Amino acid sequence: MIKAFIITHGNLGKELVEVARSILETPIDIECISFDWREDGTKTLNKIQHNLKKYEDDDIIIFTDMFGGSPTNICFQFDRKNIEILTGINLPGLLKFLTYKDKKINLKALVKEVKKGAIDGINVIGEYLGEKKS
Amino acid sequence: MIKETIEITNKLGLHARASAKLSHLANSFQSDIYLVYHGDRVNAKSLLGILTLAASVGNPITIETDGKDEKEALNQIVNIFQSKFDEES
Repeated sequence: MIKAFIITHGNLGKELVEVARSILETPIDIECISFDWREDGTKTLNKIQHNLKKYEDDDIIIFTDMFGGSPTNICFQFDRKNIEILTGINLPGLLKFLTYKDKKINLKALVKEVKKGAIDGINVIGEYLGEKKS
Repeated sequence: MIKETIEITNKLGLHARASAKLSHLANSFQSDIYLVYHGDRVNAKSLLGILTLAASVGNPITIETDGKDEKEALNQIVNIFQSKFDEES
């Protein structure tokens, strides 16, 4: 089983999950943890540790909103064999995760697929149309 | 392999929720299923693949199915397009 978390500034993670739920029309089992920028990170860190403990024996994927941001920085310490951390999660990446997580691929392969989906979802429409026209 | 070309008739085309329904349906079949739109060919079992088509109303799309249950797959996929993904009354 792969357990997923989204750790973001404010409610970004919750909103992403809600939109993904509306698109896929299915319940989504992802824990959303909001980083409150009025605190020093201790509260969020405790929350993450508490949640990770519950899933010690599972593979875990942690999505964060931005490389270099506090939600990401506090996760560096959790990088270990059964935990992958993917920064800059967006809607295409999240949808890729949700539609791939039940395929029989390992955590490393899954996180690579999600990263690719997230990056492929970023396009400049003018360039895209240019490619189509040429 | 069998195929059929139909016109996209739902107003919003292959937008996110319609694409999710389509890929979900495609995944229920063993056959390989592809969509061809304006020369691009994508795996109909991949939600993000379908979204890359940016397929819109009024345009033709070809559904290709290949495998044991290709006939049933083609029928049901044509049906979901024709039912406008149950999003229009």
